[in-house]
Amino acid sequence: MPRLIAPVVVSAILFSAAGLSAQDSSPPKVPLGLPPLSVPKDNPQTPAKIALGKQLYFDKRLSRDNTVACASCHDPAKGWSNGERFATGVRGQVGGRSAPTIINAAYWPLQFWDGRAKHLEGQALGPIANSIEMDLTIKEAVERLNKIEGYKKQFQAVFGSDATGETLAKAIASFERTVLSGDAPYDRFKAGDKSALSEAAQRGMTVFFKKANCTACHGGGNFSDGAFHNAGIGMDAKEPDVGRFAVTKLLGDRGSFRTPTLREIGRTAPYMHDGSLKTLEDVVEHYVKGGIKNPQLDEEIFSLRLDAKQQADLVTFLKEGLSSKSYPMIKAPELPK
Amino acid sequence: MRTIILFAATLLIAIAVNTAAHAADPVVVLKGLDNPCGIAVQPETGLIFVSDSAAGKVVKFDPKKPLTSTDVITDFPISSYGKGPEYAIGPLGLAFLDKNTLVVGGGGLDDGAELLRVYDVSGDKPIKADKMKTKIGPLTAGDVSIKGEGNFYAVAIAGNTVYVASNGDDTKGWVLRADLGADSPKLEGFIATKEATGLDAPVGIAIASNGLIVVGQMGEISVPGDSLLTYYSPKDKTLRAKFKTGLHDIAGLAYGKTNLLYAVDFAWIDAKQGGLFRLDSDLKGGVSTKKIAGLDKPTALAIGADGAIYVTVFGSVKKDAKKDSKEKPGTVVKIIDTP
Repeated sequence: MPRLIAPVVVSAILFSAAGLSAQDSSPPKVPLGLPPLSVPKDNPQTPAKIALGKQLYFDKRLSRDNTVACASCHDPAKGWSNGERFATGVRGQVGGRSAPTIINAAYWPLQFWDGRAKHLEGQALGPIANSIEMDLTIKEAVERLNKIEGYKKQFQAVFGSDATGETLAKAIASFERTVLSGDAPYDRFKAGDKSALSEAAQRGMTVFFKKANCTACHGGGNFSDGAFHNAGIGMDAKEPDVGRFAVTKLLGDRGSFRTPTLREIGRTAPYMHDGSLKTLEDVVEHYVKGGIKNPQLDEEIFSLRLDAKQQADLVTFLKEGLSSKSYPMIKAPELPK
Repeated sequence: MRTIILFAATLLIAIAVNTAAHAADPVVVLKGLDNPCGIAVQPETGLIFVSDSAAGKVVKFDPKKPLTSTDVITDFPISSYGKGPEYAIGPLGLAFLDKNTLVVGGGGLDDGAELLRVYDVSGDKPIKADKMKTKIGPLTAGDVSIKGEGNFYAVAIAGNTVYVASNGDDTKGWVLRADLGADSPKLEGFIATKEATGLDAPVGIAIASNGLIVVGQMGEISVPGDSLLTYYSPKDKTLRAKFKTGLHDIAGLAYGKTNLLYAVDFAWIDAKQGGLFRLDSDLKGGVSTKKIAGLDKPTALAIGADGAIYVTVFGSVKKDAKKDSKEKPGTVVKIIDTP
């Protein structure tokens, strides 16, 4: 495929997926079941910006040794996570937390497991500059980009200037904002298609919304409250990861991490902020036991009376009911040279 | 179809908070309180009743003779709320049914054991908390509420019906209801606000002049700016409108003398941003949020007979306070808003 045609085709697919036309910079239409998506006023979604952000997202040249891209740890083929317990960065360095999925990250008011960044624009540069992850200063990243003719032209076209840290973040964020999953069997069932869920999934749905207390945190269209809770994970360690506490210094936030979305949860194993639970069955068992006791354990986590069949049905609902046929399986674009 | 109509009718309009504080200086009219959490003005007398929550009592004072209070109801059970900071709480929301009948929302018992208590406050001597005229509740764990209900933050009354902003089942976010005219009033789950809004924690509550139930949905204390202003029909429980306010944690709502709506924002995430706000809204046009005064962890408000706004404020222990000081930082402040 000729190099000039490829971006156009890719962009057209992307615009269609995000509900954008070439002239339309309004917030994208979202899949069935998702709430309206707000977009920062100073970073409207445009097709050209999204296409640029997509290239940057997949480009390993934004890491010190050209081995790691955003997509390395947030791989569309692996639920926009990496399928491993922890994120692995340059030189094989392994972090202490799992790579959270990018799916529906557009809805988080606070990003990262501990909420240390606001919105996607505030998050996008963090991993590039992190010495364990991509280990490139933003100054270096921008210098690299501005030496690549294809990027230089696109930044000029989209932002009217060469790449800067701010525009780099805006472009990546704009792309990430299109990575949405909705229109799952659960949404169709709720919209009236009673054949959309199997009987087991329907039973599991009832358990999810009632007896299992899941929606205390995993409520709403994104199946997450976007807030921070202590589920006890890792709190029995000698030196536990204090999570949100490191940001707020509020004791009540010790051991709290952002509630992940449950959409596409069947694709994003292993689970929890430290990837310590391998399967959804393990996750359900953790909550049935009432989490791991510690002084800041969330009050919404307590022992549940779910028998084996109810637990199995609950897992079926999570896997079957929240996995969309229109999963955002996006392939890496051809990158500018 | 009904659901679709409801959602179509539901307005969700984002607004920007005007944080430039209005020229309104809070004046302390009662101090030395321990986590004051509720406030109500007695009909006919204009006396102000306050939940001195961590002290386990309700006190009253005359706004014309500030800084002096007398005990009205004492010995409420006390428990703690939060995991750091942790606050001791006892009686919470207050509302008068009539001059002599005060309804008190409890916060000192466990979820599923908590009570709504009704007192005759016509006498001069303090009443023990367990000497209530009527006990309503508890709403125990079961099909309606997975944990049972508790922490009755705020109470609003329309006719003989009392509405209670409750904490308990976080999958529901109940506004409870009880008929005070019944022989044996019972607490019932009335509006599942979380199911209606997708957001946690109904806390502030008021009754609009058109009869709608107005609920301040606090949202998550760890998420900034997510509080909602919502309106429900008391007839069919439907959500008539919801508005983003930009406030962090709406803790109280009240209508002023000229039908202006006021809210207090506790602002868990950053107490410096808390305060008294005016919410100018209608069901069609959205809401604009204007800061009237900055306050250190305000919890509830009521409009005095003089038209002034009285707000309960947790406050903070002064950095230079002596370690053995028993002075509590809670206050009631008086604010005059001049729109």
